[in-house]
Amino acid sequence: MSRGGKPTDISKRQDTQKALRADTAERLEAIVEAAERAAESVIDDAEAQARRYLAQARAEADRMAADRGGELGGMIETLLGQAVSLRREAERLQATLEEAKARFEPRGAPSAEPRQRPELAEEREPEEAPRLRAVPTEDVPAPAPATPSERSSDAPGARLLATQMAVSGSSREEIAERLRNGFEIEDADAILDAILGPEER
Amino acid sequence: MTDATREIGYEQARALEERYLMRTYKRAPVDFVRGEGALLWDAEGKRYLDFLTGISVCSVGHCHPDVVQAVHEQSQRLMHVSNLFYTEPMARLAERLAESSLGGRVFFSNSGTEANECAIKIARKHAHRRGIAEPEIVSFESDFHGRTYGALAATPGLATNEALGPMLPGFRAVPRNDAAALGEAVGENTAAVLIEPIQGESGVFPITDEALLAARQACDEAGALLIFDEIQTGVGRTGSLWAYEQTPVRPDVITSAKALGGGYPIGACITGPAAAEVLEPGDHGSTFAGGPVATAAAIAVLDVVGDPVLLRHVRELGAYLCEKLEALDGVAETRGRGLMVGVGLEEGMDAAAVGADLLERGLVVNAPRPDTLRLLPPLVIDSDHVDLAVGLIEESLLGFPSR
Repeated sequence: MSRGGKPTDISKRQDTQKALRADTAERLEAIVEAAERAAESVIDDAEAQARRYLAQARAEADRMAADRGGELGGMIETLLGQAVSLRREAERLQATLEEAKARFEPRGAPSAEPRQRPELAEEREPEEAPRLRAVPTEDVPAPAPATPSERSSDAPGARLLATQMAVSGSSREEIAERLRNGFEIEDADAILDAILGPEER
Repeated sequence: MTDATREIGYEQARALEERYLMRTYKRAPVDFVRGEGALLWDAEGKRYLDFLTGISVCSVGHCHPDVVQAVHEQSQRLMHVSNLFYTEPMARLAERLAESSLGGRVFFSNSGTEANECAIKIARKHAHRRGIAEPEIVSFESDFHGRTYGALAATPGLATNEALGPMLPGFRAVPRNDAAALGEAVGENTAAVLIEPIQGESGVFPITDEALLAARQACDEAGALLIFDEIQTGVGRTGSLWAYEQTPVRPDVITSAKALGGGYPIGACITGPAAAEVLEPGDHGSTFAGGPVATAAAIAVLDVVGDPVLLRHVRELGAYLCEKLEALDGVAETRGRGLMVGVGLEEGMDAAAVGADLLERGLVVNAPRPDTLRLLPPLVIDSDHVDLAVGLIEESLLGFPSR
C-alpha cells in the first residue's frame, strides 16, 4: 500500500464517519421520536385513565349523594313523625295543664276566717314554713286543715306543679319528693300516674 | 390584639376608673382579664374559681366555645340593622323562648330592667283595657326588679330614695311570703302582681308555694296579670329552664335577662296567651334590642342549657352543694334551688368580710346582705369544683368565729 493512498483512506474514513454520524443522528432522532410518541401515548393513556377515574368518581359521588339524599329524606320523615308525636304529647300535656288550672281557678269567695299574717320566711326555720291549705269552695264551710295522710292530688296547684316539673324534665322521684315536701302528699302515685303514665314495675 | 383590647394592668385601670367613671359602684380590688369555664384570671395571672358568674350571667361558664362561635360568626356576617327589619336570629330566638315557656309573644330588650319595663307597660295597658284608670302593681318587699324608673318603683328597697324622686306612682308592696297581705293588697285596681319566684338580690329567698298560690288566685279573681321576674332564676339556674316550672303556678308573663346571653347583654319579656296581644305598634320599642349578635348568642346558650341532662345535673349538684355547706361550722342555713344558693351565716359573722377573704383565697362570691353569701356558680361545674369551693369557704369561716 503506497503512502499516496493515505489521503484517500483518510477521506474515505472521514466520509464513512460522516455517514455513520448521520446514521447515528437519524437513529437517535428516530429513537427520540419513538420515545416522544411513546411518552405522548402514555400521557394520552394517563389522561384517558384520569378522565375515566374522574367520571367514575363523579358517578360514585352522584350515587352517594343520591343515597345520602335518600337517607336524609328518611331522616326528615322520621323527624316529622317524631314531631307529630311530640305535638300529640304536647296537646295531651296542655289538656292536663288546663285540667289542672281548672282545679285551682277561683270557685268562690275565700274563707271567711280572718287571715293571720304569717311571719317572714327568713325569721323562722324552714321546717316551719307555711303549708298549703285547700281553697274552700263557695257556700261550703272552710274545712279543717287536712292531716298529711288526708292530702291528695286535689291540693291546689299540686297537679300543675307535677305537670310543669314533668314537662321540664324532672324525674318521677323528684316530682314525688317535691309533692311530699311542698304539699305533704305522701302517696303521689295517682297524680304521677295521670301525668307520666303508670310506673313500670 | 387591637388597641381596644390591650391590657393596661390593675393600677392604671383603677386610676382611670377613679377619674372617669361615675361613682355608682364600690368595686372589689381585682382586675379580671380572662375567663374560661368556671375560672377567672386577674391581671397578675392569679386564678380564681368563680361562684358568682357576673351575677348569674355566665351560667354556661366564661367564654363558652359555642357562645363565642355564635358571636364570632354572626358579628362577621351582620351586627345591627334595627327593629325596622327582619333578622333571622331574633325570630328564631323568639320561637325558642315562647315555645319553651308560656307560648305567647316575646319583646326583646337589652337588659333585665328593660324587660321589666316592658312587663309593666303590658300590665298597665292590660288594666286600662279593663277600665282601670289608675292601675296598681303589687310586689313583695325586698323584691328587686331593676333600676330604671318603672322597675325601680317596683323595687321597694330602692324606691324610698327620695333623692331620685318623684317615683312612678301606682306601686305597692307587701311583706315577703305574706299570702294574706298579698290577697288583701290585690283588688279592683290591680294591674299585676310582679314578683321574683326566688328573691335574688335580697339574699336568695324562695317564695313559698302558699304565697305563689295566693298570688295566682288573687290575680285570677281581680283579672290582673301574674308576672314573674325570672331575670336571675331563669335559663336553667334553678334546675329547670324557668323557675316557675318547679312551682304550683303558671304566670302570665315572665321576664328574662342575665344568663340569657351567656355574657352578651340581652333581655326578654315573654307572655302567655292572655297578654300576647296587649302591646301594639308604637307602644314600645328599642333600637338595639333583639340584635342579631345578642340573639345568636342567646340561641347558643339555650342549646346548652336546654339539655335535660344538664338541668338534672344542676338540681343534683345544687343539693350536693347545700348538703356540704350545711355541714360547715359557721353556716346556719342554705336557701335557694338548684345552683342559686344563699348561705346564711351564723349570728355575728360578717358576710361581706367573709366574701372579701374568699376573694383573696381565690373564690369569687358576693354578700347581698350582712349575714348571707350568695353562690351562683356556672351550671357546667362538677362536684370537684363544689368540693374545692366548700373547702375554701370552710377555711375562711374558721377565721370568722360566730358569737
